[in-house]
Amino acid sequence: MLQGSLSLLRGLLAGLAAVLVCACDKPSSGSAEPKPAPNGKLRIVATTAMIGDVVQSIAGDRAEVRTLIGEGVDPHLYKPAATDLRVLKAADLIFYNGLMLEGKMGDVLAKIGASGRPVHAVADHLGPYVMDSGEGHHDPHVWMDVAGWTRAAESITAKLKKIDPPHAAEYGERAAAYFEELKKLDAYAREVLASIPASQRVLVTAHDAFSYMARAYGLEVRGIQGISTESEAGLKDIEDLVRFLVDRKIPAVFVETSVSEKNVQALIEGARAAGHQVRIGGSLFSDAMGAAGTYEGTYLGMIDHNVTTIARALGGTAPEKGLNGKLK
Amino acid sequence: MNWTTDDTWIALTGALCALACSLPGCFLVLRKMSMMGDAISHAVLPGLAIAFLVTGDRASLPMFLGAAATGVLTAVFTQWITRFGNIDQGAAMGIVFTTLFALGLILIVQAADHVDLDPGCVLYGAIEFITFDTVRLGGWEIPRAAVVNGGALLLNLVVIATLYKELRLSSFDSGLADTLGFSSGLLHYLLMTLVAVTTVAAFESVGSIIVIAMMIVPPAAALLLTRRLLPMLLISSGIATASAVLGHWMALVLPPLIGFERTNTSGMMAFTAGLLFTLAWIFSPSEGLLKRYTAGAISESGSYPNP
Repeated sequence: MLQGSLSLLRGLLAGLAAVLVCACDKPSSGSAEPKPAPNGKLRIVATTAMIGDVVQSIAGDRAEVRTLIGEGVDPHLYKPAATDLRVLKAADLIFYNGLMLEGKMGDVLAKIGASGRPVHAVADHLGPYVMDSGEGHHDPHVWMDVAGWTRAAESITAKLKKIDPPHAAEYGERAAAYFEELKKLDAYAREVLASIPASQRVLVTAHDAFSYMARAYGLEVRGIQGISTESEAGLKDIEDLVRFLVDRKIPAVFVETSVSEKNVQALIEGARAAGHQVRIGGSLFSDAMGAAGTYEGTYLGMIDHNVTTIARALGGTAPEKGLNGKLK
Repeated sequence: MNWTTDDTWIALTGALCALACSLPGCFLVLRKMSMMGDAISHAVLPGLAIAFLVTGDRASLPMFLGAAATGVLTAVFTQWITRFGNIDQGAAMGIVFTTLFALGLILIVQAADHVDLDPGCVLYGAIEFITFDTVRLGGWEIPRAAVVNGGALLLNLVVIATLYKELRLSSFDSGLADTLGFSSGLLHYLLMTLVAVTTVAAFESVGSIIVIAMMIVPPAAALLLTRRLLPMLLISSGIATASAVLGHWMALVLPPLIGFERTNTSGMMAFTAGLLFTLAWIFSPSEGLLKRYTAGAISESGSYPNP
């Protein structure tokens, strides 16, 4: 038996050596060096789909935009894929949110930026606009307020112009048209959210992602969880929220597409036990947008969906199909 | 598929990390403490919270120091409770890491509820991105993660080589070790500290999945193939290295073949280790499935190898 295990060991080691030699012998081919982009297009990488969509809208057919964090994925919980390294290495320009939304990946991206490659954190340069989430740290969910996201989009436009000066005018034109759309969206959000009866302008959601929206459009906001989707809701938090719902007679609470809805269910059951019917007003896009290729998979559609859903569930008036008549 | 210099670095760093984890992992498996890596991954939470409260920052260095300190504490507390509470080591580990994890949650809710402070966000690195963070060593651009894990491997090698006889004896017969005049308790603290430092260093540089897997799976597979300590360490090292290298290769090659677009390298490395374990389980000369069926009898050998 000893003989057997020794020869097995020898075999294993030989196999291992073969594997190692194979792995190291393969010539490092040039795919790490930036190849000329297809059709002379810029290769742009964005971390979140919210950023990717804005970049694509402004850059148009001048750029090929790749998004790292897929649809329905919570950016706090993003795990890189083996191919993401190649995507980042080949990029001409990288956009990320910043304000710790991407966690440790933010460090990685900042390091790429420090090595001289064009990397831009769209929410890091908004100055005093950025909200403090307490303890001196910043709330990263800037895209929830259209006016705030417009400023991020302005910084994206500036970056695009800087890296590709021959087409600066083209970017400027497309950006102007896109900002028109954003302005319309902002006005629409303001109008339909203002149609909610004043006492019911309360947004209760699974986690604290809607502070910017609340500040911009005059809502009161309560999240069951804190900013991090990994923190746990305490029993007392749930009780306090249930009492709040009952006292204020709030008709609806909201779930989020990228967060489990079990805490929201606990709220509804608690309120029912206290004799107050609360329903789920709908599913909101918080940290991730809808499926790519649909209207909800664009920034405009995502916000349209959110404000329309909120307004209709809380007793306001809003067209069923939203601002552009495209909501499902 | 194009194998680039980056891929060589990733495979190499994965292998260094796997080796650094599987060496002390062998002793953990023999001492029935194989879940130590997993326990530490939960127990670091209060360390992160305290480091954040002290520095007011989520920068990598204070997070790493906080995590390393609680990692070592987990090891020390586990040993205390085992000794003085006179209970099983697995149970002691369970008591310690759940208590520390709960303490971490309380600290976060009390003091930092509005800050994103989970280990996945502030501590765990990603092996896919190690080549973006390099250090210069003698004219070479080397990923920091390769240096960190190489250092951890060296430390483990030195300690295990110097104290090989003592560690071997105390792993199998702590009573005899004590009567022979060297304290098995002290050795145990040393080993556990080694595990804690290795674990946290690897967490910070390459992420948690590889660490937890490599601390258990290669040693467990090796234990199926041999009953002697030195061959076990060698086989376990071989399996660890093969898992890392094959794992990254499969993460690149496999997804297009089965219609997926993306695969995570560290997940694939852990998966490969599981695959190799299955092979060891089937073909083990002493208690493998094949052996059982061909011999027609189930061997009732004890689960400890002879020293």
